[in-house]
Amino acid sequence: MEVNGQLALTVLMGVFLIAVAAWLARVEDWRSYTPLAGGGTVGGTAEQYVSEEKPSGVIRWLTTVDHKDIGILYGAYALVAFAVGGLMVVVMRIELADPASTVISNTFYNSLLTSHGITMLFLFGTPIIAAFSNYFIPLLIGADDMAFPRINAIAFWLLPPAALLIWAGFFPIPDVIPAQTAWTMYTPLSAGAGSGNQMNAGVDLMLLGLHLSGVSATMGSINFIATIFTERDEKVSWANLDIFSWTVLTQSGLILFAFPLLGSAILMLLLDRNFGTMFFSVDGGAILWQHLFWFFGHPEVYILVLPPMGIVSLVLPRFAGRRLFGFKFVVYSTLAIGVLSFGVWAHHMFATGIDPRLRASFMAVSLAIAIPSAVKTFNWITTMWNGKIRLTTPMLFCIGFVSNFILGGVTGVFLASIPVDLILHDTYYVVGHFHYIVMGAIAFAGFAGIYYWFPIYTGRMYQVTLGKWHFWLSMIGTNVTFFAMILLGYGGMPRRYATYLPQFATLHQIATVGALILLAGQIIFVWNFVQSWLEGRKVEDGDPWGLAEENLVTAEWTWFERKLQTAVTDGGEEEELATDGGNPVADADAESAADDE
Amino acid sequence: MDEAPGLSDQYRTASPWPVFIALGIPISELGLLFGLFPLAVGGLLLFGGSVVGMLSESGYVNSTMWASVVFSVLLFAFGSALAFTEVNLVVRGYATIAAAALLVVGGVVFELFVREQRDAF
Ligand code: HEM
Ligand SMILES: [Cu+2]
Repeated sequence: MEVNGQLALTVLMGVFLIAVAAWLARVEDWRSYTPLAGGGTVGGTAEQYVSEEKPSGVIRWLTTVDHKDIGILYGAYALVAFAVGGLMVVVMRIELADPASTVISNTFYNSLLTSHGITMLFLFGTPIIAAFSNYFIPLLIGADDMAFPRINAIAFWLLPPAALLIWAGFFPIPDVIPAQTAWTMYTPLSAGAGSGNQMNAGVDLMLLGLHLSGVSATMGSINFIATIFTERDEKVSWANLDIFSWTVLTQSGLILFAFPLLGSAILMLLLDRNFGTMFFSVDGGAILWQHLFWFFGHPEVYILVLPPMGIVSLVLPRFAGRRLFGFKFVVYSTLAIGVLSFGVWAHHMFATGIDPRLRASFMAVSLAIAIPSAVKTFNWITTMWNGKIRLTTPMLFCIGFVSNFILGGVTGVFLASIPVDLILHDTYYVVGHFHYIVMGAIAFAGFAGIYYWFPIYTGRMYQVTLGKWHFWLSMIGTNVTFFAMILLGYGGMPRRYATYLPQFATLHQIATVGALILLAGQIIFVWNFVQSWLEGRKVEDGDPWGLAEENLVTAEWTWFERKLQTAVTDGGEEEELATDGGNPVADADAESAADDE
Repeated sequence: MDEAPGLSDQYRTASPWPVFIALGIPISELGLLFGLFPLAVGGLLLFGGSVVGMLSESGYVNSTMWASVVFSVLLFAFGSALAFTEVNLVVRGYATIAAAALLVVGGVVFELFVREQRDAF
């Protein structure tokens, strides 16, 4: 039996390798043909403007090293992960609609909880940011591509296996169950100690997947640092580098210092689990894990929030009709956050009994980090002040970002104060706090970017009314769900439980309703996104937002304009452009745009 | 303006290697972690071969054969450390050494047969 298994595996592996070799030989051969210069594109759509350098069909996507293609791959990947993580949490919220364990078992709840957290942070959050940075940073800084295009492709392709490993416990593999460690993977539970079932290989697979996603993020960050340092156009100096590139540069620095540490900690944990080392099982091992994890974990939250802040800083002024107020200070506060974020990790450990003097210093730094965050917030508000605001969908999401970020930030400052934290730690208040930021801010900035740049990467315009529905359902859903959680936390509802005391039922039900509102909004989003990509009205103007009027055009739109002009126009009639300008005529136009094509 | 602004024609915009490097890493990790000999060998081979392939494609190395020799020396060192030292993970060590050996063989075979054929075109 044992031998048979090995044999089967060997044969399988052999066949696989031979198939790979054969395929490579074919592709390499095909590649040795010089493509016809300016050759006819099959199908001749605008999207194929670069096809003389690329194969077509699936192979194009498997072999591409073009930063724009990779950006699109990252985006598609992130949205799939967002859907998976979102559906997981819908099941959890439905379970929480009544106090007892009714729909799913407690262990399954714990599994969903773990996967939801890891999926959203590592498979949605980091990749959706990489989608924007891959696509737009080379355009914004006038580079041909990323500094290391192939490394860029490797970094992306590590992610699908990472997702499969992280979700492996849910697949019908014999003897493998999902991890139930929560995303923080605290030892001794995650080391498999005790009589629980966390010694299962499912946890190892999840750890491997997480490790892979970390390798991917690190490769990406090195690439961005190299690109922004060395590939800028002569015209782009440090003084006029755009705000999004600044935030991605800072984020990449944070990744470079934080993720290798997570990788090492995960390897130590894997060694503990499989090879009998005792890093985390000796005295102090549990607290060692927490230090290692949060030394990564807190910078990670800023890794996730800085580029979305960059997107908002870039998009919001375009629809306020003026330049970003205090640009320099926004950059400085980005850098300040980057540095300070490594000095606050123990605010996640106030309740563990660490030395009170240490605690106090971490409290001080945690309060200090609120200052640069507030600087940014005031800058966004001041940018809008007396501006010519156009409430387009991307702008709505930016304003939603600012609003939710304030709530998330203020609750964070409260948590950073030791006496308050000792009461609220491990309650739903914490869940409310960080969801205001991860959902209310980070995901909102992602949507702002998706709508704002939709014309660039699809060549079409989305449906404006649906975009607004998406925003309002998301905004209301977020605030209903997570404000209820903050109240639950005040009431003392502990986090991470599938069941609860009946006294919490009403607020939990409100949170569930909020989650369903969110779900409805995201279904509209998916519909709008897919349908508009396929059938939306074609954009024929390189400046669909009318940025030129206020002199607010940025480099990626100039590039887009050039692309539209050089791609041979296939006789498109002059249509009135569907801008999302809060302008009723354009709105009505855009709504019917889908039918026009 | 050039036909595809933002794109350089200095390099190809497609490469077959990244996918396989990215597949090789998890397969070899799985093999080494769970001590599955064939997975470990195959994964390392896939990883090593693709790295060598990519390095020669992008012109960082001139000789595919020597690149695979260097890579397999590294693998051999790692495998020996696993198999013959106190670490004492014998199966995993041998798997790594086997991958090192196969990689050299692959590099030589490519050098002797495949490359000539291709250059003849
Ligand atoms: C204004 C600055 C912020 C401060 C002062 C702050 C403070 C805190 C504190 C003290 C905790 C620990 C609560 C506890 O477990 O008892 C916490 C938790 C958390 N914060 Fe923040 N926060 C801030 C911003 C952010 C941002 C920007 C993000 C996300 C991008 C974030 C994400 C999180 C997460 C995910 C947790 C929960 C970790 C867990 O699972 O236990 N925070 N925050
Ligand atoms: Cu923190």
